[in-house]
Amino acid sequence: MNDVIIIGGGPAGSAMGSYLSMAGIPNIILEGSIFPRPHVGESMVTSSTRVFEEIGFLPVMEREGFIHKFGASWHAPGGKEFAIEFGEFPQEGIRQDYTYHVDRSKFDLLLLKHAESLGSKVYLGVHVKQVLFENGRAYGVRVIMGGIEVDLPSKMVVDASGRNTLLGNQLKIKKKDPIFNQYAVHAWYKNVDRGQPPTDDFIHIYFLPVERGWVWQIPINDEITSIGVVAEKDVFKQARLDYEAYFDAHCQINPDLVKAMRNAVRVNEFKSEGDYSYSMEKFVGDGYMMIGDAARFVDPIFSSGVSIALYSAKYGSERIRYALEANDFSEEALRPYEVKIREGVAIWYEFIRLYYKLLPLFTHFISSKKHRIEVLRLLQGDVFDRGEVPVLDAMRKYIETVEKADTHILKPNLALIPLD
Amino acid sequence: MSTSSLLLDYIKKELAVGSKRNIQMEDDLLSAGIIDSLGVLQLVAFIEDQFNIQMPDEDVVLENFQSVNSLANYLDNYQKV
Repeated sequence: MNDVIIIGGGPAGSAMGSYLSMAGIPNIILEGSIFPRPHVGESMVTSSTRVFEEIGFLPVMEREGFIHKFGASWHAPGGKEFAIEFGEFPQEGIRQDYTYHVDRSKFDLLLLKHAESLGSKVYLGVHVKQVLFENGRAYGVRVIMGGIEVDLPSKMVVDASGRNTLLGNQLKIKKKDPIFNQYAVHAWYKNVDRGQPPTDDFIHIYFLPVERGWVWQIPINDEITSIGVVAEKDVFKQARLDYEAYFDAHCQINPDLVKAMRNAVRVNEFKSEGDYSYSMEKFVGDGYMMIGDAARFVDPIFSSGVSIALYSAKYGSERIRYALEANDFSEEALRPYEVKIREGVAIWYEFIRLYYKLLPLFTHFISSKKHRIEVLRLLQGDVFDRGEVPVLDAMRKYIETVEKADTHILKPNLALIPLD
Repeated sequence: MSTSSLLLDYIKKELAVGSKRNIQMEDDLLSAGIIDSLGVLQLVAFIEDQFNIQMPDEDVVLENFQSVNSLANYLDNYQKV
């Protein structure tokens, strides 16, 4: 009998495999596709560094020459730029004042190989059809290999299937987010004018004056830059345009973006991402656990996805270690993992919601002496074990003030997002 | 320098978007498009820094930002209180 079967070899699955292998727990990673394969989510936050360091992956990140990301920059529709640098707020236990932008096909492959080097057994091209249950307890997976179905038993199943949400779909516990329904169209470009040092290798976010609309600019390597247009799905539907026309039209709205894209040439096909934000009703059950995007996904405006995936692997693996020691794989025994991840992601979610509720407030807060450092803390992914987050309370209070005052300057900027 | 000329100076130098017009103390800053909402917030940060005060969020209203004069009035009153 296998100890742990991990479905999916993305960052969540590979980090899980790495942590378990380091703890001496035998594990198998089953990946349906053949790596390398492209993936969205190319920019990170600095909290990821802690996980890379713990699993011994940081030297690989440095060796492979991924672009260092020292900060982030926002461009208002009127042409004003607001930048932050991670170095302003050093995080405990993290020695680098930068994180990375990555080509996910390369990054995901390297991380998967790293898990393998630590002891995980990795199988590519093995498609998991379903998780097997008996009396409500997961006891393994059914895979398809060469057209033949094979059942693989295990003490514990970890769903790291990403946005496929294999187990969530199977159990019918996937809930779409009630507020956010965004849609992204993205591609890689050459000859993007990324601006001048020191901000040229930052992530750049260009605000668009459409409902929850923005564009990302992420440097992938010296030549290639990833550009993505994000907006409410209705904006895309109502435009009734093909990807290219829709994309190009939205790149014409923000003056700084127009400048960046003046000589840009697209080098691959457009891709799209829908059904943006969701959550499973629960992340654990008897004999199983969901991590990373397989558990929950929140709007990517702050590059939180990979960090959440890595931390869910970290905390999830700790619970699995206890479960094996106590030989108790019950939902009850695994629940502390879910509580921890939910609390952390809830902070991201609240931050994102307040951000979209009143966009100028965010730029105001990062320009303010009083709030800047606390906003920076959040932007770096410092969301776990936090308890109270006073800066979010301050944002919320400000928004309530604007809602109450009839002639507040920011009143026209309030979005139709419920706060409770 | 008086409060109003200090403000006018800052607005001319840092905030006035795309207009080289001669801004007057009584000009309507917002409806004339001299500054936008982000500009107002920048102005708040400048004021807090310059006068060493904490401007209450609920005071960031149209009445107080109508013109350089109305803002200067607000600030002079605020400092008296």
